[in-house]
Amino acid sequence: MLRYAKGRPLPLWLKSGRVQTGLVIIFILAVCAIFAPYLAPNDPNEQNLLSILTPPVWADGGDAMFPLGTDSLGRCVLSRLIFGARVALTVAFTASIGAMIIGAFFAHVAGYFGGWVDWVIGRIVEIWLSFPPVILSLILMVGLGTGLRNVVLAIILVDWTRFCRVLRSEVIVLRRRDYVSAAQLIGFSHWRTITREILPGTLPLLITLMSLEMGVAIIVEAILSFVGMSVGSETAAWGQMIADARQNIYEAPFNLIAPIFAIFFAVFGFNILGDGLRRTLDTRLTQTERT
Amino acid sequence: MRMFATIAKLLVKRVLTAIPILLLVSALLFCILRILPVDPAAMSLPPNATVQEIEAMRTEMGLNLPLYQQYGIWLNKLFHGDIGRSIHFRQNVTSLIGSTLPATIELAVIAMMVATVFGLAGGLFLFYVRGTRAEAVMDFVSILLLSLPEFLWSLFLLLIFGVFFEVLPFTGRLSPGFERPLVTGFLLLDSLITGNIPTFLNALQHMILPCLALGIALSPSLMRVLRSSLLDAYQDDYIQQARLRGLSEKRILIRHGLKNAILPTLSLMGVQFGFLFGGTLLVEIIYSYPGMGNLMVDAIRNADLPIIQGAGLTYCVAVLVISIVVDSLYLILNPKLRVR
Repeated sequence: MLRYAKGRPLPLWLKSGRVQTGLVIIFILAVCAIFAPYLAPNDPNEQNLLSILTPPVWADGGDAMFPLGTDSLGRCVLSRLIFGARVALTVAFTASIGAMIIGAFFAHVAGYFGGWVDWVIGRIVEIWLSFPPVILSLILMVGLGTGLRNVVLAIILVDWTRFCRVLRSEVIVLRRRDYVSAAQLIGFSHWRTITREILPGTLPLLITLMSLEMGVAIIVEAILSFVGMSVGSETAAWGQMIADARQNIYEAPFNLIAPIFAIFFAVFGFNILGDGLRRTLDTRLTQTERT
Repeated sequence: MRMFATIAKLLVKRVLTAIPILLLVSALLFCILRILPVDPAAMSLPPNATVQEIEAMRTEMGLNLPLYQQYGIWLNKLFHGDIGRSIHFRQNVTSLIGSTLPATIELAVIAMMVATVFGLAGGLFLFYVRGTRAEAVMDFVSILLLSLPEFLWSLFLLLIFGVFFEVLPFTGRLSPGFERPLVTGFLLLDSLITGNIPTFLNALQHMILPCLALGIALSPSLMRVLRSSLLDAYQDDYIQQARLRGLSEKRILIRHGLKNAILPTLSLMGVQFGFLFGGTLLVEIIYSYPGMGNLMVDAIRNADLPIIQGAGLTYCVAVLVISIVVDSLYLILNPKLRVR
């Protein structure tokens, strides 16, 4: 990063407006998550039973103490929203890295070795795909039990196939390149050929997929916590807030809008970053498509 | 005739490969749910049961046998159409699934139609505005739409049309006071068969929001694939040939462009419709729609293993059936695959 400060031009991918938008959104969320105790006006779990379901501050009867109002237990919606970013981002980063590692490993092994290895991995992916992702993650959560660590694990176990399927075909294309054959002729080990010759070629796609996967992970976590199969009730999570607000939809519709918007904002950030990266990093796209 | 032979061949092949997949899926389901710290024997007895009674129940339920034997017994029963009894509802799982599955299928099928209409219309529009300033805007909008899953769409539509404007109902399949005809379990179909128009219209109103939510959530990815397939198709020589022959742009688009571009879109639809079927679960919960999703979530909350296994397996069968149907359609529409 320091080198760019000395007047060098920005790399192409950082010039893209989409990438910048995505990074700004993720930065805002990260600040919320990291500095949550300093940013939140109230304790997210503190119940103020005297002020239940107060509207946001700009509406009639709003209280400046609770800028976005309170929920059915009198907890501050804004504080829960800010603390909820912690769960969302933790899941987004850890689950997507885990899914990426497993998926990329199998994709490279399958694509590089081909033959029966490819066949076996292909069939495993096929079995996984016959489960709708929501159903599989719910069943896994039943087996694993609730808790942040298990949510991450369930998402990894469901979503590694997304990486595996897409990367495998990319590896098959790269494996036929001359420089890969050259590396094999020099006597590079399989491991070295994959990591030094093939991986750099699949890296752009891998990064793009990871960005999109972070958005998916946030949605899955929200779904799981919506049905009460994610973190416990002592941790604020966006999905839980939605489930809670749904009970009082007529009295406090804003309580429902706030977490919906938070999820949308986060997922949009990761999606637009992914789209921007795909446009600038994908070597197969033509110059016209990129602009 | 030849086409039927090829399709029959594909069907046989696909069904044959589906069998080992289902066997593995069922084994996977069985294993995941057996590592649970819940004791099904203790759960099916009253809380004041003695340790001896629980032990007797364990023997009766076969829980003290090795895991593979338990799986064998379960599988054998499954072949005879018996997935066990629900611990919570004290009913056969088969009849519970039988009474909720039609509702879910109805929801999924109509949502797929909505997704197809929106996807095709949106894709054609995206293609139509190619190269203009509107394209950049639409492209951005499609990313916005992609960031809203069916889960958020359901809540969003519920808030707007159900709560703020109060124009559409958003709980269940029928309003109270409406007679529910029972012939096939498919409410829309049943009310039409029995000629009960008020029930039909009421049921239709209840379907609008959930189907829109599922359909809209799915359509952006269809739009984008259709657009890029159309762009690809228009790179080919036959489009230029058609132009030279003096065909109208509309005819070129429909007879030559769309006919070729529809194939990649269709093969994506197979996967997407499978996901949509899973997506009905959330939508059903949000709209309190009495389908398999609500049954499944109830079962999960009560740790009702037989239902979770049965419903999980049913979802897999549904996904496999959808992908086989879409593949057959692909074959019907794609002459290149037929020749072989």
